[in-house]
Amino acid sequence: MNLRIRGTLDRFFTAATGLSVVLLMLVLVAILGPMLYRGSNAVFFQGTVEFRKMQRDLFRRSDEATLNAEIAETEVFHRRISEMIDEFRKGVDIEAMSSQVRDIHRTFGQELRAKAVADDRYTELRNLTRDIRDSLEAAFAKQDIREIRPLLDGVLLHAENPAFQGTAAEKFFEIARSFLATAETVDLNHQQEYAAALRELQGILFHTQDLPGLLGPRPDEPQPLLVMLRYGATRWDQAQQLLDRFFWVEEWVEEKPGEPLVMRKEPRADLFPETLGPLFAYVQENADKMLKPKFTAYWQFFLDDNFNSHYFGGVGPEILGTLFITLVGMLFVIPFGIVSAAYLVECATDGQVIRIIRMCINTLAGVPSIVFGLFGLAFFVLFLFPLLGFEPKPCILAASMTLAVLTLPVMIRASEEAIRAVPRHYKEGALALGASRFHTFVTITLPAALPGILTGVILSLSRIAGETAPILFTGAVSMGDVPRSVFDPTRTLSYGSYDMAVGDRLAMMVPHNQYGMVVTLVALILILNTVAIVLRTRVYRKLRGQ
Amino acid sequence: MPQESDDMQTTADSIRKSNIRTTLAVSNKRTPAAAMTAEACECAVIRSKNFSLYYGSKAGVKNITMDIYPCSVTAIIGPSGCGKSTFLRSINRMNDLIPHVRTEGRLAVDGHDIYDKRTNLVNLRQQVGMVFQKPNPFPKSIFDNVAYGPNLQGVRRKDELQHIVEQSLRGAALWDEVKDDLKKSALALSGGQQQRLCIARALATRPRVLLMDEPCSALDPIATGRIEDLMGQLQSTYTIVIVTHNMQQAARVSERAAFFCLGELIEYDHTSKIFSNPGKKETEDYVTGRFG
Repeated sequence: MNLRIRGTLDRFFTAATGLSVVLLMLVLVAILGPMLYRGSNAVFFQGTVEFRKMQRDLFRRSDEATLNAEIAETEVFHRRISEMIDEFRKGVDIEAMSSQVRDIHRTFGQELRAKAVADDRYTELRNLTRDIRDSLEAAFAKQDIREIRPLLDGVLLHAENPAFQGTAAEKFFEIARSFLATAETVDLNHQQEYAAALRELQGILFHTQDLPGLLGPRPDEPQPLLVMLRYGATRWDQAQQLLDRFFWVEEWVEEKPGEPLVMRKEPRADLFPETLGPLFAYVQENADKMLKPKFTAYWQFFLDDNFNSHYFGGVGPEILGTLFITLVGMLFVIPFGIVSAAYLVECATDGQVIRIIRMCINTLAGVPSIVFGLFGLAFFVLFLFPLLGFEPKPCILAASMTLAVLTLPVMIRASEEAIRAVPRHYKEGALALGASRFHTFVTITLPAALPGILTGVILSLSRIAGETAPILFTGAVSMGDVPRSVFDPTRTLSYGSYDMAVGDRLAMMVPHNQYGMVVTLVALILILNTVAIVLRTRVYRKLRGQ
Repeated sequence: MPQESDDMQTTADSIRKSNIRTTLAVSNKRTPAAAMTAEACECAVIRSKNFSLYYGSKAGVKNITMDIYPCSVTAIIGPSGCGKSTFLRSINRMNDLIPHVRTEGRLAVDGHDIYDKRTNLVNLRQQVGMVFQKPNPFPKSIFDNVAYGPNLQGVRRKDELQHIVEQSLRGAALWDEVKDDLKKSALALSGGQQQRLCIARALATRPRVLLMDEPCSALDPIATGRIEDLMGQLQSTYTIVIVTHNMQQAARVSERAAFFCLGELIEYDHTSKIFSNPGKKETEDYVTGRFG
């Protein structure tokens, strides 16, 4: 091979290594970039007035004066929208109207009793209102205006009856008039469809049984029990999604037979008669005035507790729990790891038993983490705890111990390598000065092996902080109080991420919280690692004498 | 001020020594007076009688019988693998670290058989200090390195430690170079300085015997020169046993020399005799460079 070929090959290899480094970085950026971006959404976003309201109610932090002004401004829009919908609903929502007329009939009866009218007069009026009620209900059931009009006209005959003046029965005639008006303008053949479409529309605008909407509960509605239903869209991006659903209906249609379905968007306004048209225009025009989006830096995300499975709030207790479990775990891993490694390097002779122990350690390092989780449940929680007189329930101690067992092989191997790598002549120097083997190990070998041991600490730290499966049954919960001692279970970032991803359809609505949690976990591990790495560098420098 | 007079004497000694070294004389370099003192305390510090050491079934050294005298430098020379380091390390039982080691015969320091079961290893090793082939300061500060031995002996008081450290560093002719930064890491020193620090560290336990296992083989000629000067200074106080490959070094620094070959002691006599008029053919071959 001549020199030129060698040179070319050399350059080729250099280029290849450079390229692989660049590729690796690109992959990293491709993975971390989007995650970071989405995770940052948990903290930096356009918060709406609903967000500020939520913060005031749930976390007691707000600029009260400004917020009250904002709420007053937005309330106007809420009321107007609510009115527009009520107006329309009067005509089409038969069930609501039927129950309303039955209510009126009942209320009227109670009013009569309260006035203590004579019995025969009472019976007469009650019969009359029953007739009115029945004809109204009959009218609601009809679709043809020609059938509806005589019925309603019959009802309205009684409108001038002095017995009804100033009583609940007056409402009968209001309803009758508005229904007549609707029946004349709206095609009642589609009444059912309108009612269904309206229910959906209301779900998007206010809330459904279990999903929050754009504006929060209607102004006259009592506060829903579920915290998340009490507020509208707290974030502008959420609001925009809801607005999109508000304006457009997604439909899957078969364009050509046999082909996959195609999604098509139809304006939702088309589902309703023209009488509701102004509502859409109104919402379109005033969307940002209703919600007042404002750039928000929600750094309390890292401190706050959450509500309704992370629909609102932050990951404070999760961070705390993760730190707690990690630190307690390290308390087990570090001493056990170092002592085991010291035994393997310094004391153990190369026998059959030691070889088997070594093999076990190496095998343990490859056992799936869920197996450790089950082991932790069976051994620590169900066997060891009752033996020691603790309550056999999942808790931080059990989780930490399980994680410690999981990462012990890593720690042992790293420490073993580190201790083995300490130059023999350090040890000999100390021994020649009369130090015992133990003293030599503690004062000379261990400090010299510290950088390597810290590498083991870093590796097991990341593992412990990030593992989910081992703590599934041994100490993690998805909700609950902040732990007070190691005998309480805790929430953690890793388990929280898993729980949000699998257990909860709500998570789909708050992807920012999901990403936020994952990014927080990654950041937490990075921070812990950075601390350890800085420590290692300092120890290393000191050992090097720089 | 005995310390000072010691210093002055050893300095004078070292000047004389370095002059001699430049001439590469192969004669007895001790002044007649010094030789007399050595003869005067004829009672040997280390007595080895039919001492053998085996690594498993392989013999490291066989049947060594030799007396090592105080206040002098004794050199052990010989080809590689002849057991000279093994013998040296036997004197403070450093071979104990190697598994399957077994000894026979008797090896006594100050009249005590060191391979006796009752021997206190800690005391022994503090009596018999050791300097290794490669400078091996601990990855600690200069002060901590020297104070390590006294610390083991139970000296905890700061001022006492300070005193010992200063004395030892002066003894190892390193004080002037490092007195201003005792807190500095020992690993930041040069190779020669590190080796002298190791000597200071060994001196800090106030040993009677100093074993040196090729202390200069990793050093350049200038650093070697300084260590050799230092040995000249130290031999008035300590019994020094040095293993060396460098025959000129043995000739320069030692009063007596032992020639080992294949684990056996071939010849042991005054250095001048070994180098000028050896009694055995093997020794002659070795020192004249025909073998080894």
